[in-house]
Amino acid sequence: MSGDRIRGDRIRGAVIGLAVGDAAGWPASRHRAALHAPWSRRLHRELDAFAEEHRVTTLPVPFALNQPTAPLAAGPSDDAEWLAWTLLTADRPRAAAFRELAGQDVRARISVRTALDNLARGVEPPASGHDNPHHFDDAAAVRAVAFGVLGRDPEDDALVTNAGDGVLGARAMAAAVAAAVAGGDVTRAVAAALEHLPADTAIGHNARAALSAAERAGDAFAAVPALDAALLDHVYSYGVGAAQTVPAALALAVAAGGDLTRAVPAAACLAALADSAPALTGALTGACGGFEAIPEGWTASARTLAGCCLPHLAGQDLIDLTEERA
Amino acid sequence: MTSYRDRARGCLLGLAAGDALGAPAENLTPAEIRRRWGRLTEIEGGGTDDTEYAVFAASLLRRHGHGLTAALVAAAYRDEIIPRVTGPMRGAGFSELGTIEALRRGLEPPLTGRVHSHGWSDGLAMRAAPYGIFCPGDPAEAARLVEQDGLVSGSGEGILGGRAVAGAVAAAMTGAAPEDVVRAALSVVPDDSWTARAVRRARDVVTRAPQGGTTGPAGEDGLVEALHEAVVVRHYPWTDLAPEAVALALAAFLAGGGEVEAAVTFAVSLGRDADTIGAIAGAVSGALRGEAGVPARWAARIAPVTGTCLPVVAGRHVLDAADELADGLADELVEGR
Repeated sequence: MSGDRIRGDRIRGAVIGLAVGDAAGWPASRHRAALHAPWSRRLHRELDAFAEEHRVTTLPVPFALNQPTAPLAAGPSDDAEWLAWTLLTADRPRAAAFRELAGQDVRARISVRTALDNLARGVEPPASGHDNPHHFDDAAAVRAVAFGVLGRDPEDDALVTNAGDGVLGARAMAAAVAAAVAGGDVTRAVAAALEHLPADTAIGHNARAALSAAERAGDAFAAVPALDAALLDHVYSYGVGAAQTVPAALALAVAAGGDLTRAVPAAACLAALADSAPALTGALTGACGGFEAIPEGWTASARTLAGCCLPHLAGQDLIDLTEERA
Repeated sequence: MTSYRDRARGCLLGLAAGDALGAPAENLTPAEIRRRWGRLTEIEGGGTDDTEYAVFAASLLRRHGHGLTAALVAAAYRDEIIPRVTGPMRGAGFSELGTIEALRRGLEPPLTGRVHSHGWSDGLAMRAAPYGIFCPGDPAEAARLVEQDGLVSGSGEGILGGRAVAGAVAAAMTGAAPEDVVRAALSVVPDDSWTARAVRRARDVVTRAPQGGTTGPAGEDGLVEALHEAVVVRHYPWTDLAPEAVALALAAFLAGGGEVEAAVTFAVSLGRDADTIGAIAGAVSGALRGEAGVPARWAARIAPVTGTCLPVVAGRHVLDAADELADGLADELVEGR
């Protein structure tokens, strides 16, 4: 492939890689079920309570009673939609782009919901992302994949919804994706990320601990228990802390030699991080290996957005969108 | 003139009373609190982690005084708290639990307070009062000392919340006017912080409220609603956010004119982390008004702590902790510090 073709292949790889990872994690079906009627989701919660009460280990999975079944097919969910939204709005001033979401029926991480409240209250960036109980989550790191493929600085975007490790995670993801899109291999991409992660921060400490743990384990799947022990906050976690998900993605990408088909399944095995670590891992390895290296069945399943978080994106084709915008 | 000893006793009695009064109202909405109690004025049961951790903080100060460092606090966790945690750690917040995990993994402060996701917890603010007692009239030193404690278990705004409360108590220990107590809290946190923004917004709500606004039921409900609108985070499922709890507590302190009963009963009517909000409002107003300012019927309900949350402090009474801190101040005067 020529330089331009490689670049285009890697840009598509980063975006579709994120969507594939997003689809591979178990939480995707929960997010996609948001498209079902509230009473249907209430039945799900009641079945969950039933299983608890009757001491049965048959856990309910999302189901469709008099509801369309398409949302329950394998497919992308929240992270792919927020990445698409970022590509579509990347030229707009960031706080203004978020303000346009006010009053719309959107679903988002706690950091984003709180930032939207802050903006409505007149609290501007960076305070909108800082005065925020989930300033540390990876909402901005997911969006940073868009800035990475565009070769732009993700900071203004990140500061709207995040602070601290949340912003560092965004800078690291954008740098890694940009390095890979520019032709770097996974080692070069991860080195570019580490430049943004000081060792005295939780995310910087965890990134180095995760890379060592994965190196000792030898390969991505073998590294899963070691990453669980090194990274996971078993006391309390929403699973989307940038200080956990970004280091997991960096470590698994390296351990898999940049191969998406080995890194993403391992990330999906970290159950507590399965909402976004597979998506970030998919973006990194998709950028390193390119679109052509992603199995066709996964591309077919992951390219069409469901609209479960941003309803106006329902039906949007992610590959078309990437070719138009990036 | 009210002595430091009297203010120290008022401060920790007020803290324990606010903690105990607010405990049954934690995480309830103001409307639900009104439905259950009207105004919650009588202590129903014992205190919680707020009081036990404050007693522990007082013991750290008694031992190390102005030489307290984060490393010494971490050593105390390792020697006195962790060995006694044999099963679930009851009553502790996520920040303390996450810190213990970090210490067990061999990390040292400040990373121990950074690697968990609850750096902004009000766990430091709830136990900050002893640092203010120990530094009467010196909010900056009180803030410096409480930060050493905070570096072990918190980060960012959680440390700032502790600094603000310690600074407020240090000012209240000298009988400052309520507005000046809140100014002292703001003087020890950066202007460009969530804590400062929340405290200023809450203070402005109270200042703008009509005179007598907290006495009539309708006016008081309006003030509760306006304070929630000003500082409460809506889309987060827990309530232990230091910027929010500290702002609500200092607002209650102002709304109650610095009087213990008025401040604490209003504080716990706000719901959210009601025991901690009550404890902070009680500590600051208790330091200002002294032991006699705490209603006798509340003081009579304060027993030695049970050690449910921190076994190492079981059997200690807040008044003994207060007396020891006051003894330390007297020693310093003798030594001519």
